[in-house]
Amino acid sequence: MAGWIVGVDVGGTFTDFSARNLETGAVRIHKRPSTPDDPSRAILHGLGELQAKAGIAGADIVRFAHGTTVATNALLQRRGATIRMITTRGFRDLVEIGRQVRPMIYDLQVDAPPPLVARSNRLEVTERIGPRGEIITPLTAAEIDRVVAELARGPKAESIAICLLFSFLNPVHEQRLADAIRAAMPELSISVSSEVQPEFREYERFSTTLINAFLQPEVGRYMKRLKNAVAGVAPAARFGIFQSSGGLMSADKASEFPVRTALSGPAAGAVGAAAAGAAARIRNIITLDIGGTSTDVCLIRGGQTEVAHIRDIAGFRIRLPMVDIHTVGAGGGSIAFIGPDGLLKVGPESAGAVPGPACFGRGGDRPTVSDANVVLGRLPDQLAGGELSMDPGRALEAIRTVAEPLGISAVKAALGICGIASSNMMRAIRAVSTEKGYDPRHFALMAFGGAGGLHATDVARSLGIRRVVVPPAPGILCAAGLLDADLQENYVVTCRTPLDGDLSAIDRAVAELDQQARAWIAAEAAGAERAHRVLTLDMRHVGQNYELSVTLERITGAPPPPLEAGALKEAFFAEHLRSYGHVDRDAPVEIVNIRMKAVARLRQATATVAAPVGPGTPVEHHDVWFDEDQPRSTPIYARSTLEIGFALRGPAIITQFDATTLVPPSATMTVDPVLNLILELDDA
Amino acid sequence: MPEANVIDPIALEISWNGLRSIADECFLTIMRSAFSTNIKERHDHSTAIADARGRLIVQAENALPIHLASMAGLMTRILAQYGETIAPDDIFIGNDPHVAGGTHLPDINLAIPVFGDGRLVGFVANIVHHADVGGAAIGSMSGGLDEIYKEGLRIPIVRLFSRGVLQDDMMRLLLLNMRLPEERKGDLNAQIAAARLGERRLRELMAASGPGYVEEVFDQIVERTNRRMRDAISRLPDGEYAFADVMDDDGAGTEDIRINLVIRKSGERIVFDFEGTDAQVPGNFNLTFNATQSAVCFSLKALLDPEVPNNQGIFDAVELVAPLGSFVNCVSPAAVALRANTCQRVVDVVIGALARALPARAIGAANGANTSAVFAGIDPRTRRQYVYLETLGGGMGARATKDGKDGVQVNITNTSNLPVEAIELEYPLRVEEYALVEDSGGAGTFRGGLGIRRTIRPVGHECEFNGVGERFRHRPWGIFGGDAGKAGRFVIRDRSGGERRLAPKASGIRLRPDMAAVMETPGAGGYGPPRDRDEALLAADLESGKFTPEFVAASYPNPAREAPGGRPGGDRSLPEPCEECSR
Repeated sequence: MAGWIVGVDVGGTFTDFSARNLETGAVRIHKRPSTPDDPSRAILHGLGELQAKAGIAGADIVRFAHGTTVATNALLQRRGATIRMITTRGFRDLVEIGRQVRPMIYDLQVDAPPPLVARSNRLEVTERIGPRGEIITPLTAAEIDRVVAELARGPKAESIAICLLFSFLNPVHEQRLADAIRAAMPELSISVSSEVQPEFREYERFSTTLINAFLQPEVGRYMKRLKNAVAGVAPAARFGIFQSSGGLMSADKASEFPVRTALSGPAAGAVGAAAAGAAARIRNIITLDIGGTSTDVCLIRGGQTEVAHIRDIAGFRIRLPMVDIHTVGAGGGSIAFIGPDGLLKVGPESAGAVPGPACFGRGGDRPTVSDANVVLGRLPDQLAGGELSMDPGRALEAIRTVAEPLGISAVKAALGICGIASSNMMRAIRAVSTEKGYDPRHFALMAFGGAGGLHATDVARSLGIRRVVVPPAPGILCAAGLLDADLQENYVVTCRTPLDGDLSAIDRAVAELDQQARAWIAAEAAGAERAHRVLTLDMRHVGQNYELSVTLERITGAPPPPLEAGALKEAFFAEHLRSYGHVDRDAPVEIVNIRMKAVARLRQATATVAAPVGPGTPVEHHDVWFDEDQPRSTPIYARSTLEIGFALRGPAIITQFDATTLVPPSATMTVDPVLNLILELDDA
Repeated sequence: MPEANVIDPIALEISWNGLRSIADECFLTIMRSAFSTNIKERHDHSTAIADARGRLIVQAENALPIHLASMAGLMTRILAQYGETIAPDDIFIGNDPHVAGGTHLPDINLAIPVFGDGRLVGFVANIVHHADVGGAAIGSMSGGLDEIYKEGLRIPIVRLFSRGVLQDDMMRLLLLNMRLPEERKGDLNAQIAAARLGERRLRELMAASGPGYVEEVFDQIVERTNRRMRDAISRLPDGEYAFADVMDDDGAGTEDIRINLVIRKSGERIVFDFEGTDAQVPGNFNLTFNATQSAVCFSLKALLDPEVPNNQGIFDAVELVAPLGSFVNCVSPAAVALRANTCQRVVDVVIGALARALPARAIGAANGANTSAVFAGIDPRTRRQYVYLETLGGGMGARATKDGKDGVQVNITNTSNLPVEAIELEYPLRVEEYALVEDSGGAGTFRGGLGIRRTIRPVGHECEFNGVGERFRHRPWGIFGGDAGKAGRFVIRDRSGGERRLAPKASGIRLRPDMAAVMETPGAGGYGPPRDRDEALLAADLESGKFTPEFVAASYPNPAREAPGGRPGGDRSLPEPCEECSR
């Protein structure tokens, strides 16, 4: 069978594979333990296993899409290149001062992490560009020579970051420095701020550029190694790397701009959720991806994931378009304890994979969310297809360590732990919904990750959400998302212009970006099924210092027509009203940034999962606690036996290879035509 | 739904979480919808929920410590003044430090009552630092003003909305007295929207659980927080802890203003007695009682339990004695605009006093200021007036296990800077340098943090510079043998590089395009004797260029390096905490 596309998502514990055939829609999935020291080992072994299991010849793989945590881990562990930075004279401390704030107002002992480049490795260069892009102090050839000589003489570095003021308006000084350094020292990686993210606000731009420089050598080597290895197995495969913005890019782009992969993993889950929702014609979704240590949530509106432009990872600020994922430290391994105020707390400390929750029997003895689920009878005896056996005795013992001091039963404590974990998850969802002007009641909650289905109805109820969707393979949705991802490239230019009268400067800038986007589509997206561009304008009231993004119509054919001020104003007012609840139609408006996203749709196939053939009868019954009065005898179903159209009323537990779904007594569940579980909650 | 009167520790945690979400959502609403840069970029605002007695119950996670007691002060006065006449959809507003619970005039407080089952259940409140509230000088924050009438418009507590109806005459009166009325209106609208949103959210919560339940949750939060704080206090060794420090001046002729503190601790009772503190001063550095309370509670929380939630339970655990009419409990018409500097110093004094009892948690004196700079003029490109306000961080004190952080906001303030590119796009100004001040961290086993230098020049026009600095003479002391950090300074540099030093409170300075204002904020004090500093850390100090070889040689005694004579890094004019106790 020719025409396979393969998605590989590397997580902390498992490397997940999802393969789909473009002709038949056949789907094959696979999972194997990750190899954190060199993720490509698990990828290549797993790929071989998948091929053998599913009978996929290497030559039949036409696409290989990869979600990577190499960049994220390097940042979390602060393991990356030695950097030297070149910046405008007078400003070498700017990246160290940052926004001059401390991370915890009341804690005298906690600091923001030191910058990724040592102070002695930050070189100042005499030059200055002004706020209109004008050259105030020219960069002389002698000064360039001095900098190059200094680099050659000074401490050894693998990577150079060039960060000059106002380079987003006029990159000429940054470019001349980059050219000279490239010519003199071709072995060095170079990150240029006006190329990484040519946007207003120097600290954010410089920080993003430093992160890029920090990651470049390692990610570059990894990409090269992996690309060669995969090419050896699957010579015909188009190699795509998943970026935080929700689309694929080439391995070359990923090597050049590794900072774009910093949120690759969770973003793939959101794209997978959007695709799973689209298959069921559900287009407004809040995702709930519950893993071992954390929960990721994202809002999807009209089938599109929301985009954020700023994010801190491990205390480092990144300004780039990224799928707007909000993370909270609440997962299956989150530890419950009694706080100094005598109240029960859950997380953010986690038992992790080692020693893990007490119920794993690997030496953990502190009570976790998973232990609570075991005590309540909600987790099956075995997880991950039999790789993990649960130890209910240890779970109970651990839960008692918090129940007894509080003078409550173990069951009540376990229900409380689940309730508090849910309320923490709820706060994350409020951050992506109500706090951005969206009412969660108008969305379905899509639960995935191993434990998403266990907590989804609790979370949904507390937010007034009526419908919960559990996709067919919730433990592997990130890998599936990679198969549905488009090729994507983002362009931005800062072009501050008042929104009255003459918009010709904006029109020229839009035309320029559109030209770049079309050139990219022609060059990089060859063989794509179809392509389009999306124009977004960041606008604000004059005097405000915070922009709102207004996305305009998608563009498919010819360049976009000139913009019309009146219509743009209306669109801005509508967005302002939606986001903030008020609008001042008399206050002047200005455009700050112009963004152009180029999207190329790769060939896809609708997944056709072999429809299960009954009998849809319970495998067994368990005592499950839903309140502290008494347990209810609850049927356990194997998901693989539930046919399309199968329906039941809770309570019930649905188990599958790597995920568990709880249907509470006050809900009904049906299997929809694309094999999602749809849970409908009764009125409260 | 039945109204429970005993809430279990699980339900309470979940409800508390819900209340925090409401305060946070209100905070973000203001940040996102306000007009002024001060809020958008610097987040100089706070939000809270209070109960029907005006007790503070929940504050937003990112609320500012200085605003802590101010909101509570507003609510108790609303109750005293309006009592039974408080009606649904009223919105109250006030800013006056002497009659409306405020701490300085630019902080405009706003509160909306929340009703359930026909009775008052609580308030949702917020506070925003407005960029101008009128008065003698642009920005309402200039040094040298010597009575509150000059500082801006005094708003007693008034109704801005009565049963949902805007009191338009009141709004017009307010806006007429403020510069940049459009921006004020935008920021006030953000405050109103956030208050109404919080009120709606609290009603939604009550619809699910009943007002009785919510009231019980309020009580429990205060009670448990109070218990937690008292437990932390009781772990402090009993005894008397004394300390004093001196402020440079008030910008109106009074120098060396003393803040005197004796802490008496016995069991779970702690009394902060400011007896012996100087009388209120003519200049605008005075603290109202609320401001002193905010600073004391901040210090105690930071030293004892940084994660204890901000609510009335903390206030109730602390007794405060502050003589009426003194620098830390001023009366009308005392001027107060620059009280943040004094709050910073009160924090230093509390930390200094408790250092002996808490050696692992105390830190060297921080930059001890809220160094601020205002540039104002007419933009030659647009012919419109502009005002650019900035507050600058500085050094943070050294700690028991590590150096003080360089170039950061400390203690009661945590406002962001404005990006250089934002300044130059917005104003006819050029930023020439933004850097750490070398050699400004006091030597020690762990050294104090470095101050910040910012150099700004007007472009194509003449502008006015106003600066307010503290610890420009009295340097930030070190503890347990650590040296003092370097003092701050304001300097005018002319084209030829000549420098003219300005007063710490510099107002009305004319800057020509061939002149630049150089602002250097203080560093911070060290911790422990310099001779015990690890050689590797010293090597790093030199390698980074943060310290010069000359400074290191002079400040760190080393048989191999030591030179005879004094150590210029060590300022002996300010005694260390334990010596101070005997004063």
